Amino acid sequence: MASRPLRRFRFGRALRASEEGRTILEALVGERLPALVRSVRYHRPRAAFCGVGFCTGCLVRVNGRPNVRACRQAVREGDRVATENSWPSPRFDVLGALDALFPRGIDTLHGFRRPAFATRTYQRVVRRLAGYGRLPDHGAPAAGIRPPTVLRARVVIVGGGRAGAAAAARVAALGEPALLLDRGPGPGPIPGVEVLPSTTATVLSAAGPGGGDQFTLLGYSAEDAGVLVRAPAVIVATGSYDASLLFEGNDRPGVMTADLALGLARGARSLPFRRAVVVGSGPRALEVLSALGPRACAVSAPGGIPPELVRRASELGVSLFPRSMVVRARGRSRVRSVELRRRGSGPTDLVPCDAIVLAHRRLPHHPLLFQAGATMVWRPLSRGYYPALDPSGRTSVPALFAAGSVAGVAPAEAAASGVAAAEAALGRPRSGPPSTPVDPGNSGEYDGYFEELLTQPRRGKWVACACEDVLLDELEAASGRGYRGLEVVKRYTGLGTGLCQGRYCVPDALSVLSVLEHRAPPEVGYLTQRPPVVPTPLGSLARLHDEVGGEVVP
Amino acid sequence: MTLERDRYRVVIVGAGIVGLYTAYHLARAGAGPIAVVDRGFLSSGGSGRNGGGIRQQWETRSTIRLARESIAAYRRFGSEFGYNIWFRQGGYLFLAETPAELDRLRAVHDVVVAEGLPSRLLSEGEVGAHVEGIAPGAVVGGAYLGSDGTLYPFPAVWGVYEAARSLGVEVALGVEARGVSSENGRVSRLVTSDGSIATDTIVNAAGGWSADLSRRAGLDVPNVASRHEILATEPLKPFLDPMVVRRSDGLYFSQTMRGEIVGGVTVPHPPGTARGVPSSPRFLTSMARALVTLVPRLASVGVLRAWAGFYDDTPDGFPIVGEDPRLPGFVHANGFGGHGFMLAPAASRRVAQSVLGEATDLDPREFGPGRFAAGPAGRAVEGLQLG
Ligand SMILES: Cc1cc2nc3c(=O)[nH]c(=O)nc-3n(C[C@H](O)[C@H](O)[C@H](O)COP(=O)(O)OP(=O)(O)OC[C@H]3O[C@@H](n4cnc5c(N)ncnc54)[C@H](O)[C@@H]3O)c2cc1C
Ligand code: FES
Repeated sequence: MASRPLRRFRFGRALRASEEGRTILEALVGERLPALVRSVRYHRPRAAFCGVGFCTGCLVRVNGRPNVRACRQAVREGDRVATENSWPSPRFDVLGALDALFPRGIDTLHGFRRPAFATRTYQRVVRRLAGYGRLPDHGAPAAGIRPPTVLRARVVIVGGGRAGAAAAARVAALGEPALLLDRGPGPGPIPGVEVLPSTTATVLSAAGPGGGDQFTLLGYSAEDAGVLVRAPAVIVATGSYDASLLFEGNDRPGVMTADLALGLARGARSLPFRRAVVVGSGPRALEVLSALGPRACAVSAPGGIPPELVRRASELGVSLFPRSMVVRARGRSRVRSVELRRRGSGPTDLVPCDAIVLAHRRLPHHPLLFQAGATMVWRPLSRGYYPALDPSGRTSVPALFAAGSVAGVAPAEAAASGVAAAEAALGRPRSGPPSTPVDPGNSGEYDGYFEELLTQPRRGKWVACACEDVLLDELEAASGRGYRGLEVVKRYTGLGTGLCQGRYCVPDALSVLSVLEHRAPPEVGYLTQRPPVVPTPLGSLARLHDEVGGEVVP
Repeated sequence: MTLERDRYRVVIVGAGIVGLYTAYHLARAGAGPIAVVDRGFLSSGGSGRNGGGIRQQWETRSTIRLARESIAAYRRFGSEFGYNIWFRQGGYLFLAETPAELDRLRAVHDVVVAEGLPSRLLSEGEVGAHVEGIAPGAVVGGAYLGSDGTLYPFPAVWGVYEAARSLGVEVALGVEARGVSSENGRVSRLVTSDGSIATDTIVNAAGGWSADLSRRAGLDVPNVASRHEILATEPLKPFLDPMVVRRSDGLYFSQTMRGEIVGGVTVPHPPGTARGVPSSPRFLTSMARALVTLVPRLASVGVLRAWAGFYDDTPDGFPIVGEDPRLPGFVHANGFGGHGFMLAPAASRRVAQSVLGEATDLDPREFGPGRFAAGPAGRAVEGLQLG
């Protein structure tokens, strides 16, 4: 591979260089995943976790701008990258002592009330801990003010993976204007399709200004330029992502999703670990195992391990822990070993490792559908919400469609589901067979899992919501006081109100609450998806102000 | 969740801050069996959707007094209810962008000072000292009262809920009030989705839906639900102490204890609750424009989430508190507009008094349910509304 030109940047006071096109995270990864930030409440060290721009593990300050995701932002020449919410550094942070001082957590709901005259002092102290980054150094640089992009299309496709690209191509082939938005680099040019790469769709409103264009889609692209799209039909093909998993220390540097591990295997020069325990037994785990090769040391799965995975593991000399649950990641500033407990109160194995890669389940990336008001259904096998769809991918919202893995369609059928959605969106007859969403579930291997998990002894903190440092104990306390349902427990504990907007904490919290409330997860409810689905810069929205019409009385 | 009895001394509709506080006051007064019904979950109404702003700067002395009393109640909330509501008295700062607006603020300031509160008029420079990053020339001055502040609404709801329950109040969630029966011209039963409940008194604390309930009781009321939206940004290190507000466009924003900027701005919506509580692109962009113009350094800060709720507006800006003269036994505790949280402790005490047949210190021409019959002429108006 020809080496790409170097970009020089500053990380703290150090001068660094990286190949063009790499993300800040890739540029900073060496032998280890660097701790980049400290958590909000307990100042626990955190490192990149998700690799796809949703978690709070890789927040850095870039050129005076706070809360930038290092895993999404490419290095530019002269960038000044700094760490935040830690002093003197994320590795050695003075306030990190809080974590050890309060092993069972800090009760901000009931604590700090007495004596009354001290409340001001308490508030000053607690307030100092709040937030991640400091106020930005400056406003939008004059040169950076880009006019908003305002577009119209017959069909807008969000997401440029297999399903989205196929949908867009089909719309174009049928002679209608198609517009495709993708958060990442996108699928490349598609004949007849306007493709907007690096453009994140963040708000989808089905109560448009009327005139046939019932959808208003807001988003933003590079340099915070606002994007406004109006369209009579929308196809959401936003794909899926790897879930988190609840266990003690699941927020420690070194615990990461398969999304991140695979991303690093592709993009970084070296993998920041030597011995990874892979969690999961499905195709995703196989993919991870293959990508990590000798860097994988063990596979843990909640149920049985299928033959292909067994074969691959034995080729690599990887030990297998079927029917096991991850109960504890040991290590403070990084993972040093993991405790695996055999299901059914079996013995515990201690496996030395420096990474835990979560490849146990993929979840549909559905916030946009949720937010637009599409009816969602609970799939018991995969223990997740999926959009309710007809065979063409039609949701309960007129003219809103879903295709690909967000619709629960198997990868092999993704393109076909995109085609079907495109045809349905245009009111054309379907050219292929109906797509059948499958439950890519785990065939029941999580049955009883959380019941068992909750009985495990807790030595340190079990972080149920990493963005807000909400502990499992707090969910139990809320439940114990009679607060029931995810919506209420969210308000009681703050779970799901952080930067990832519940993507990583809500799925397992649903399972936990279902155990605590003795009712099925769908009865525990779901969180109303409040827009935007990704934090959206105020500047990009501000610039769309003149373009967005008012609400009309129907 | 069903109720244990078939008869209650008082049934309160709405388990928001107003209904719960009323139940608490009544239970403390030993009023007899009390039930609260709510069709939603706890804090599903305005009490779980507001900005937590608590201010005493108002145009009318009666509103100032209620707010002042409520502030005292929120200050002792922690010891009384066991929950920390993080009531932070970082002040409310009204911005004046023109000399004319500064004059209007001066008029409010005079009323506030006459009530004995140390409100201050600020110069442009003094405003700037309170709001880091404010755009030069954005204001000519402002008005500030340091004892105003913000709190977390949720723990306030939990605290009053638990206290009321421990005093024997029954709270039935998931039960909708559908109608009111009367006998001999007096309230006799509340008809609910879960059967009908015999009672002497019904308190309408149904927030944005209170007019529906009043109408179902055969009472014509002027309350109008209006949708108001609000957003929170990603959390930043604390840099802003006061709640910053502007009357011209209804802008308000503060920084919570968690570091998020939370606030709203006026955006016209069709009145009524029919269209629910989704957020609108119009609001997001209006609020973003207002914030970024005022504090340009916020441009790159991300909006984390936006939501909406209902104000329960009255034509004169005062809530409706007390028994309806047209239907004895039907007591109003509604019409709180965008400031029910900050008036709840004090106002609900008066609601409880009127349930118990005691006289209150409220002027019936300002707060009485019968005031609208006489038309607006000669009645006071509280016009200092935001959001
Ligand atoms: C965006 C926004 C920002 C705000 N900001 C502030 C602020 O900064 N400061 C402030 O003081 N106030 C603010 N408010 C106003 C404040 O939230 C309300 O005035 C206050 O919460 C009203 O409390 P409540 O108990 O009267 O009503 P709610 O909290 O709305 O409770 C009413 C309850 O009645 C229930 N209900 C309704 N109809 C029925 C029925 N038929 N049967 C059974 N149950 C029923 C509902 O489910 C609901 O739970 C704001 C409001 C909004 C929407
Ligand atoms: S690792 Fe970058 S956001 Fe999660």
